[in-house]
Amino acid sequence: MSKKTRYFLLVSGAILIVGLGTGLVASYLGLPVSLSSQAAGPAELQYVPPDAAVVAYANVRDVMNSEFRRRFRELEPPSTDRDQFEQKTGLDIERDIDSVVAAFMPGTDDLSARPERSAVVLARGRFEAARLEALALEHGGTAEDYKGKRLLTRLDSGKADADGMAVGFIEADLVGLGSAEAVKRAIDAGADHRNVASNNDLMRLVAELDNSNVWAVGRFDALARQARLPSEVQAQLPTVTWFSAAGHVNGGVNGVFKAEARDEAAAQNLRDVVRGFLAMARLQAGSRPGMQQMVDSLQLTGEGTTVALAFSIPSEFFDALEAMAKQRQGNGR
Amino acid sequence: MSLGFWSASRRVFDLSLGEMLWSRRTIFMALVVGGPVLLAVIVRALDMFGLTALRVNGQAVGGTSVFGVLIWMLFLRFIVPVLAVFYGTALMADEVEDKTLTYLFTRPIPRGAVLVGKYLAYVTCTMLVVLPAVVLVYFLVVPFRAVPGSFTSLVTDLGLLGLGLAVYGAVFAFVGAYFKRPLVLGLVFVFGWEPTVMVLPGYLKQFTVAHYLQALVPHAMPSDGLTGLLQGFFKETPSLGASLFWLIAGTVVFLWLATRAVEHREYVLEQ
Repeated sequence: MSKKTRYFLLVSGAILIVGLGTGLVASYLGLPVSLSSQAAGPAELQYVPPDAAVVAYANVRDVMNSEFRRRFRELEPPSTDRDQFEQKTGLDIERDIDSVVAAFMPGTDDLSARPERSAVVLARGRFEAARLEALALEHGGTAEDYKGKRLLTRLDSGKADADGMAVGFIEADLVGLGSAEAVKRAIDAGADHRNVASNNDLMRLVAELDNSNVWAVGRFDALARQARLPSEVQAQLPTVTWFSAAGHVNGGVNGVFKAEARDEAAAQNLRDVVRGFLAMARLQAGSRPGMQQMVDSLQLTGEGTTVALAFSIPSEFFDALEAMAKQRQGNGR
Repeated sequence: MSLGFWSASRRVFDLSLGEMLWSRRTIFMALVVGGPVLLAVIVRALDMFGLTALRVNGQAVGGTSVFGVLIWMLFLRFIVPVLAVFYGTALMADEVEDKTLTYLFTRPIPRGAVLVGKYLAYVTCTMLVVLPAVVLVYFLVVPFRAVPGSFTSLVTDLGLLGLGLAVYGAVFAFVGAYFKRPLVLGLVFVFGWEPTVMVLPGYLKQFTVAHYLQALVPHAMPSDGLTGLLQGFFKETPSLGASLFWLIAGTVVFLWLATRAVEHREYVLEQ
């Protein structure tokens, strides 16, 4: 064997050994959270408690500016409630909110029993803190400082308790809404740096999301308790561990729903079930062009334990809906 | 003094490995394998500028899925069979063409050992180029944070590519040793026979290598496209054990047939 052949063997072997060694270390010894989840997800995640089972995000600015939203704004009836809300709080949801992160922390309680107690919503935007505080006090709420953050709490039965709704001014442009306990936990998560970033399973799913303006990731059991799913799907539930749903709203809506099964056999079973549903949907949609286009856009993919269903609702589908709504409005007159 | 079969194979392996690595064919291999590496560099560059390389229904496809597509569409369906055809069919044909076969056959070594030594050199040479390239593609395409979740897929892929090179190599070593126009036959097998029978119903797909390799791929096939649809419809995936058995058995049987062919065939060198 010549010298250059030996060098070639050494270089090739070194690439293989270094690559496999790095992967092995990353897989079995774990990666530091800061390294593995760097830049994954929005900054608000630092205020999401580590035991969050489901995290959802919406880029409100993107959605509100989308063609999709414009269509439905034209069809909405004029609302006095919304105007009153804006007058009192100085907050126009369409204009002043940039993004929203919602998290559910089931903890020891059953999420389905009192979901509002286990949820916190983090809204980033422009808020008139003084005006909101004055409004809260006017309506019998209390204001206090919690770890350096202003916390407004609504009084229930004459006294503030953990279940009472609260608003926390976490940053100049970030408020937390939810039960007082949930908002305090969000403030704790940010202050103690013990947040959802340490949840490697969940952050892995967040890291896989790309350029979506609405998404949700989480433990599937937490979601399933809230949803009324068909019995065929319910039967598959114990095999599904994690889920992620991501979408991009613009003229139409594109998205992908991913589920992680317990093992590859379970994933294959789930793919077969979804394939059956798709076949049924194609049969049902045969005579309706709008539906047909949507059903044709459904694509089932997946690898290993992952099952993914991508969809695209084209703007033509909403054109048809818009036309139907306008026709109905016309008939009403 | 006559050498034993395996000692002789080792000597031929030592001699052939250097020859194979520094032959003109290696430039072809470097180009074929360099394509996916270049693609991976482009994907990484796009990612660094906040752009997305691959979208399905307007939805960005993650790095792990892009890697799965590259392994499935480029490496397993194209690069592995093509390299096996070009190297496997040339194991004996090159010696015949260069009129150097006489030098090997006049040595006191079994004729079959020449083929086995050359076959092992082919497997080593192609693996040393293909597998590091796959590792490079993996670390370029898959974000570092996704490595823990997808590393087992990489290991499976590397094993699968190695097995694919070994099986296809053995098949084409036999074709090269037995038939007169091995390259044409090999290309017909890879680009004609296999893709055709894979989408047809019935038992014919059992006479392909791709049928068994496909069953081991950790990345699920995309269900879109006519081919994917037909394959999904006529899907008869063999079990993991059956696939491994037939792939290993195929390698052993075709290698044995190739050695038999080399031992019994009378090679006529054109003057």
